[in-house]
Amino acid sequence: MFITFLLLEWKSTKRSSIWQKNLALNLVIGFFLFLALLYLLLLGFFIGKIIQEVYPGEDPVIIFNGFLVFYFFIDLFIRFMMQSLPEISLDSFLHLPIRKSTIIHYMVGRTILNFLNMAPLFIFIPVLFTLIAPEAGNFQATYWMIALILLILGNTFLATYIKRMFGTKPLIVLVLVLIIGALFALDKTGVFSFAQLSSQAFGAILRQPLYLLIPLAWTILTYRLHYQFLKAHLYPEEVKIKKQREVHSSTENRLLKSFGITGTIIMLEMKLYWRHKRTRTMVYMLPLFLGYGLFFYFQPMYMERDFVMQFVGVFMTGGMMLNYTNYAFGYESNYFDTLLTKNIDFQQYIWVKFIIAISIGIICYVLTIPYLFFGSRVLFINTAMFLYNIGILSYILLYFATFNKKRMDLSKSAAFNYQGVGASNWLAIIPAFLLPVLIQIPFQQMGIPNIGLVFVGCMGILGLILHKPLLNLIYKNFTTRKYIMASAFRERT
Amino acid sequence: MINIDHLTKIYGSTTVLDIDQMEIPAGESFGLVGNNGAGKTTMFRCILDLIRPNTGTVQSRGANVAKSESWKEYTGSYLDDGFLIDFLTPEEYFTFVADIYGLTEGDIVAFFADFEEFFSNEILDKKKLIRDFSSGNRQRIGIAGALMPQPEILILDEPFISLDPTTQIRLKHMLRKLKEDKGVTMLISSHDLNHITEVCERIVVLHEGKAVHDLITNQDTLKVLKGYFAVS
Repeated sequence: MFITFLLLEWKSTKRSSIWQKNLALNLVIGFFLFLALLYLLLLGFFIGKIIQEVYPGEDPVIIFNGFLVFYFFIDLFIRFMMQSLPEISLDSFLHLPIRKSTIIHYMVGRTILNFLNMAPLFIFIPVLFTLIAPEAGNFQATYWMIALILLILGNTFLATYIKRMFGTKPLIVLVLVLIIGALFALDKTGVFSFAQLSSQAFGAILRQPLYLLIPLAWTILTYRLHYQFLKAHLYPEEVKIKKQREVHSSTENRLLKSFGITGTIIMLEMKLYWRHKRTRTMVYMLPLFLGYGLFFYFQPMYMERDFVMQFVGVFMTGGMMLNYTNYAFGYESNYFDTLLTKNIDFQQYIWVKFIIAISIGIICYVLTIPYLFFGSRVLFINTAMFLYNIGILSYILLYFATFNKKRMDLSKSAAFNYQGVGASNWLAIIPAFLLPVLIQIPFQQMGIPNIGLVFVGCMGILGLILHKPLLNLIYKNFTTRKYIMASAFRERT
Repeated sequence: MINIDHLTKIYGSTTVLDIDQMEIPAGESFGLVGNNGAGKTTMFRCILDLIRPNTGTVQSRGANVAKSESWKEYTGSYLDDGFLIDFLTPEEYFTFVADIYGLTEGDIVAFFADFEEFFSNEILDKKKLIRDFSSGNRQRIGIAGALMPQPEILILDEPFISLDPTTQIRLKHMLRKLKEDKGVTMLISSHDLNHITEVCERIVVLHEGKAVHDLITNQDTLKVLKGYFAVS
């Protein structure tokens, strides 16, 4: 039965449009996971050396064992935040002649198959061979490893149990953070040394395998807890973590109403962004884009290279714009038909998209003004790039947005939802980010880079002045593309 | 009101819609029946300029719907869930529709009063997003949204599906009243032969994209339709 469940789940993943249509993206994600595992492996091999460097003269096994208690608490926290609960589609199994306990065992046991359970092994196994086994002997090292695996499993069951019981409520997160903080504080101030306790406990397992019974009991206990909880609540509506929130209608938008239809559409977009997790999390990317400069500004090597600085400038004020415009139409795929059939003037509609895009650019520009700290040239370059972004790039992005015809299902959103993300779309846009750098090259060759920057800036201003004909071009393109977009958006998968 | 001329839509090698000539005069209640895949929704989508036909045109009040957008001002439509904005509450959705069509606060109040019976305490003040409503209630919201701007042409695809029996009867009353009092031109498709013969004065049967029957409703129509769809 377990194998049948697993096969079904594998099929549902493999046949989901996310997997099939996005091979390129999956490969990229896979590559990063591979890199992460490689780093962990390297850390595992060299941690003995690192401990000897930092704590010279002490026994690395004792030090490592002392870390473990902190590791397991942090692991619990990370799991609580990141490990997703296995969602077996209860509705389709509960009515079949399958014992409830089988379903529950599967639901609890399925949590073991998770990246977060594999990752620590990449550290612990090298440690086992390089550090523990040479010092304590092969058998003892095996007991130690078994204890760690049991504790990892215990953490898995406990974290998913807490998550099922309470959901990710801020209060629970706070409590967990406080416990971990208290642990560190007590240890650092010397009130109570958890590190010592931890190294004694794991040291004891290295000497006496009977102590293994304690982590074993713990793992069984957490498993039972999770099992019992599910057993008492095995109804689809109780198991699902998605809770309906009360929504208060905001039909009064006095400020925006004075802008007429434009205000109505902006209001709709704001609600769209606020009421979907996927769009809300985009805001978290803002610091990432704005902070991009910090990687470069501290290094004189880059500061002397105009093209690097320009790219940084384009990226900082244009990155969020790209994030918005790329899906400016795609995010509306759920109700695109209604926009097309209701009395909406699409020239106005595209104007709204344009206004929002350049507003995002303006906000990013204002927020990057403090980089003036690194010299006035930084601000000069950023200003020129900002003008390019709002006056040229904005149109290019909006034009290409109509080619992004993947249906986006925002209502099915969760973290790490890549549905509807197309790699091809990003590739088409990269040249647009490099264009100002290319324009600059001849000026650079002639030894007048500043004139080049002024030229790029003026292009941007010219683009803004010509917004009517340029937006009309985008509108014309939109009217021919809309049928293709609408039929693609209608394809529910 | 609506003129269809040599309209075809082809997907791959199958012709899903092929209508040579069809006229729907103003004030007519026009019913469309046919089995799955007969081309009902495709025909409505062509009339609403949601898909580009391979050949032919649809004219609304003499203007090609693919060229002029003036038909949007007087056409109300609800084909499926894609016509709802699912992350809004019903109130917000109706306000959105009102804003788009330039209705006043007074119009909105009058609309809620008119539809009080149709909503029967299921829709308003629920503090829920549209996506959290049941399919029957979403259907009600969509139909009400289509009627809200008081359109002169109303296009509904399977409006009776997933409505409860009481609401089905109320909808039928409402549609008949709209026709009699306001002379609204209605295009309605349905799988339910009883409902459609009660509401529509003209019924067209589509089969593989072609209009195989064009009937003026009388007491025999239901029998004719049942005969046509009967399994032998």
